[in-house]
Amino acid sequence: MKELSEVLEDWEAVIGLEIHTELTALDTKMFCNCKLTHDDEPNTHVCPVCLGLPGALPVPNRRAIESIVKAGIATNCEIQKHSMFYRKHYFYPDMAKNFQTTQGPVAFCMHGHLDLEVTGRGAAERPACAFGEAEAESLASASAGAVGLSADLSRRADSQPAGAGDACGATGADASAGATALAGLSAYDTAAGAGPVRHEDGSYTVPIRILRIHMEEDAAKMVHVGGEEGRIGGAAESLIDYNRCGTPLIELVTEPDLRTPEEARLFMEKLRRIFVTLGISDCSMEKGSMRCDGNVSLRRRGERTLGTKTELKNLNSFKALHDGLAYEICRQAEVLEEGGEIYQETRHWEPSRKRTVVMRTKETADDYRFFPDPDLAPFDLTDEFIAHCAAEIPELPDAKRDRFERDFGIKRADAEQLAGDPALAAFFEAAAAGLSGKAAQTVANLIVNELMGYLNAAGADVTLETCGIAPAQVASLAGLLAEDAISSNQGHEVFLLMAQMGDDPAKIVDERGMRQVSDTAALQPIVDAVLARCTDQAQQYRDGNQKVIGFLVGQCMRESRGQGNPKLFNELLRASLS
Amino acid sequence: MARSFDELTAQEIAAGIAAGTFSAAEVTAAALDAIAARETEVQAFLQVTPELAQEAAARIDAARAAGEALPPLAGVPLAVKDNMNLVGTRTTCASRMLETYESPYTATCVARMLAAGCIPVGKANMDEFAFGSSTDSSAFHPTNNPWDTARVPGGSSGGSAAAVAAGMVPLSLGSDTGGSIRQPAALCGVVGMKPTYGAVSRYGVVAFGSSLDQVGPFGRTVADVALAMDALVSGGRDPYDSTAQDVVPGFAAAAASAEDLAGTRIGLVPAFMEAEGLTAEVRTGVERAASALEAAGAELVEVDLPHVDAAIAAYYVIGPAEAFSNLARFDGIRYGYQEPGCTNLADQSARSRAHGFGAEAKRRQMLGAYLLSSGVYDQYYYAAQKARTLITEDYSAAFARVDAILMPATPHAAFRHGEISDPTQMYLSDMYTISLNIAGNGGISVPVGLGADSGLPMAAQLVAPAFADERLITYAAVIERALGRAAGGSVLGVAPAFAGKGGELR
Repeated sequence: MKELSEVLEDWEAVIGLEIHTELTALDTKMFCNCKLTHDDEPNTHVCPVCLGLPGALPVPNRRAIESIVKAGIATNCEIQKHSMFYRKHYFYPDMAKNFQTTQGPVAFCMHGHLDLEVTGRGAAERPACAFGEAEAESLASASAGAVGLSADLSRRADSQPAGAGDACGATGADASAGATALAGLSAYDTAAGAGPVRHEDGSYTVPIRILRIHMEEDAAKMVHVGGEEGRIGGAAESLIDYNRCGTPLIELVTEPDLRTPEEARLFMEKLRRIFVTLGISDCSMEKGSMRCDGNVSLRRRGERTLGTKTELKNLNSFKALHDGLAYEICRQAEVLEEGGEIYQETRHWEPSRKRTVVMRTKETADDYRFFPDPDLAPFDLTDEFIAHCAAEIPELPDAKRDRFERDFGIKRADAEQLAGDPALAAFFEAAAAGLSGKAAQTVANLIVNELMGYLNAAGADVTLETCGIAPAQVASLAGLLAEDAISSNQGHEVFLLMAQMGDDPAKIVDERGMRQVSDTAALQPIVDAVLARCTDQAQQYRDGNQKVIGFLVGQCMRESRGQGNPKLFNELLRASLS
Repeated sequence: MARSFDELTAQEIAAGIAAGTFSAAEVTAAALDAIAARETEVQAFLQVTPELAQEAAARIDAARAAGEALPPLAGVPLAVKDNMNLVGTRTTCASRMLETYESPYTATCVARMLAAGCIPVGKANMDEFAFGSSTDSSAFHPTNNPWDTARVPGGSSGGSAAAVAAGMVPLSLGSDTGGSIRQPAALCGVVGMKPTYGAVSRYGVVAFGSSLDQVGPFGRTVADVALAMDALVSGGRDPYDSTAQDVVPGFAAAAASAEDLAGTRIGLVPAFMEAEGLTAEVRTGVERAASALEAAGAELVEVDLPHVDAAIAAYYVIGPAEAFSNLARFDGIRYGYQEPGCTNLADQSARSRAHGFGAEAKRRQMLGAYLLSSGVYDQYYYAAQKARTLITEDYSAAFARVDAILMPATPHAAFRHGEISDPTQMYLSDMYTISLNIAGNGGISVPVGLGADSGLPMAAQLVAPAFADERLITYAAVIERALGRAAGGSVLGVAPAFAGKGGELR
């Protein structure tokens, strides 16, 4: 198979994502009072409602609706005041009622977008030929029905709800809201026509449109015992844990606006940072509380018609998302270049073998027999409710990144990294309080390099909250570095001592006599002694070998037992040799 | 003084127990005795629950002995339609599919009746999953009309109606999706009320058509039905049913206030009174009720419901669509019947469903699956929802002019078992009741005497605006007072063939 970079020179990959996020921050399930849990004994948090027993009825969780509205506002969606739940019918062993309660043509959140900033090596995945007018046009054309769900649901957009008319408060709300939402589609398409904007450094910004975010209930968890990689094929038995059944789930569907695996990965990362900041989910891909399916098709560069797509499952890490899509793009290219045909099918990414394999083929579209759930009255969200949700949204990662860059004057990449994690961002703000420019950047460097490196090395049991390192300690260490009291090498040493002992860095430096000597009078004798000893190197320098200065600085540092200021040594050496 | 307990109303039983005239245990024993004596001929029950009844009676008697205040229906025997979950009983929905299904929890409506002091004596027969108007589609046995055992009691809550009409219980619960309380009440000569959709919790009642289903009581007097309604709505909106609403329990007071109707306007729909298929004796009965209301001071006004003709068609789209969805869970795997010896999933599901469901249940599910399928949905389901809106608007317009509407409950008296074999003819027997389930507002069926031609019970139906259900009780009480036994009328009370048979109370 060809390399991804080579494939993308000739082919354009059209990628859309469907991202499921469990609202793990909630206390109870979507439609009943059962406790939400991840680790408890199987089938211990169940009731007639989540078991789908005959006669049981769903009652929606208000806090789940608040969560999805926040998610919608944070991803620039239009919040739909009028929407309702639908029933989606299919058989699967993990779904007790044989229908899933989900949303219809109008979701709580419609037509949003996130702007991706793609930098560095990731930016190089999108070849130069993929920028410009042609790209903008293809974006717009791709949106027309490429995501199966949107096509299927828009068919129902004019449908009226069930319900007993005035008597039970049912109205044609969903139908009229559907019309409104669809009328807004053209502006939404125009916005996407903007396409990617390339910057001088090779990075680019691209808007990725979000078709919708809808609310639904999760199914139970199936555990296949004895099969390969936990799959059903070859399994000796399958167990069902209904603790997960009825977990509130929000599904975000993007338009097929993504063009590289890197963009898909960045979108997912960005969304994760937003949801974590909102505090609606722990967003653990490892534990399955955030799951992603990727739809991908290829078409020749310049072609406008969409190719046949495949759907990828088991993309349960950011790396799997990138690598699975990259493999699938290369696989499709190979098939197409050999004159073969892509079948619309669901494929499973096998990370251990680095390949995708067929799970099932879709010869005909499933008929889910969607219709409005008559047990759940249509929603009529008030302005107050939406305002209440908006007011609870904390500063989002992009805004925080911009503020860090602006107010503290730190590098954008560092600001982005710090702002993406609410706990880390709070730590930075506490440590860098009142600082700006170089001093703030020193704090950022310590957090990004030393602190995060330390936490990564310490393993999953040690977190920012439990590691015992306080922002004041980092601020103090940054102060020592800024006033050249210690060298950056010493900074690393002091950080580790500080993490181990919990002492203030100044105390560590003083107690160990580590304070850097920047007194010229104290350093000149050392310089003189070194030059007296290393006459050969001194001569080489005088003969024009500038590099040898490094060796001489090293000798001075050794002579001073590491406490001399290396920059001053450098200056003194040059002065002495000139 | 020995007499059968069937001479007592629910109100009188509760008062007698409170006064110590007899105990709850004695009333329970009398009810079980009456059931033993009459059930062979009526077959109203799918399950009789003496242990549950005796335990409940013992609790009432102990409470009284301890000097505690008794709840309003303390010691009143109650039959519950077999689509309502009650722990300690099977909930079969009269289907092979759920023949051995034990209730894992108790429905809110049943729990509230028990909290009001009722004694659960058994689960009443019904059409399978409530699909029908005769109770003949029960997978286990038909139920006979106590007024003529060769005839049906109506349906789908036929067992609940027949148990009351035969004097085996003074009160029962039914559910009404297209007339399933009002039609059997009419055919059995008892009072049956379908409250406004949302007035009574549906939690724990196995769903047929979720947007149409509503629970309501049967009784032999309007006052008893009012007491049951107060019990069903007391405690406020059920937090387990998001379509339930708060209703103030003022039904007993509404029954007691049935005096002067001056200033009240009662609507009559000329098209209903001249409809094809309406028998002369039913029309005469409704006219008798109209005269009773007029005599009490009400003004009779003609109103029109122009789109109500579409109700049956809309119902047979919405009902089957919702039934298809609600019954999808009966897949031969999780609940109820499982065909033995199957080697794969599809086979097991198909064969379990083929055996577990009767003809009408299959017909409605297949119809629903078709109506919701892609390409067909817009044509039928959407059209049915439009009809639903128009019918609801018709009622709103009519209620701008009148306080209630009087109409027949059924076009004809009880028919013989097997007399109506064409399903579409059977559907027409709900022509007067179905539009209320479509629009959601409440209705009550009240006996008006025996038909001159058939000698069978005749009834009138009163219809009120949404959540004005107390009016139904008030106006029905006026009709009952004018035409009932107390006024020397020819009907009300236990069907003569069964009155006083067993059930002796000291």
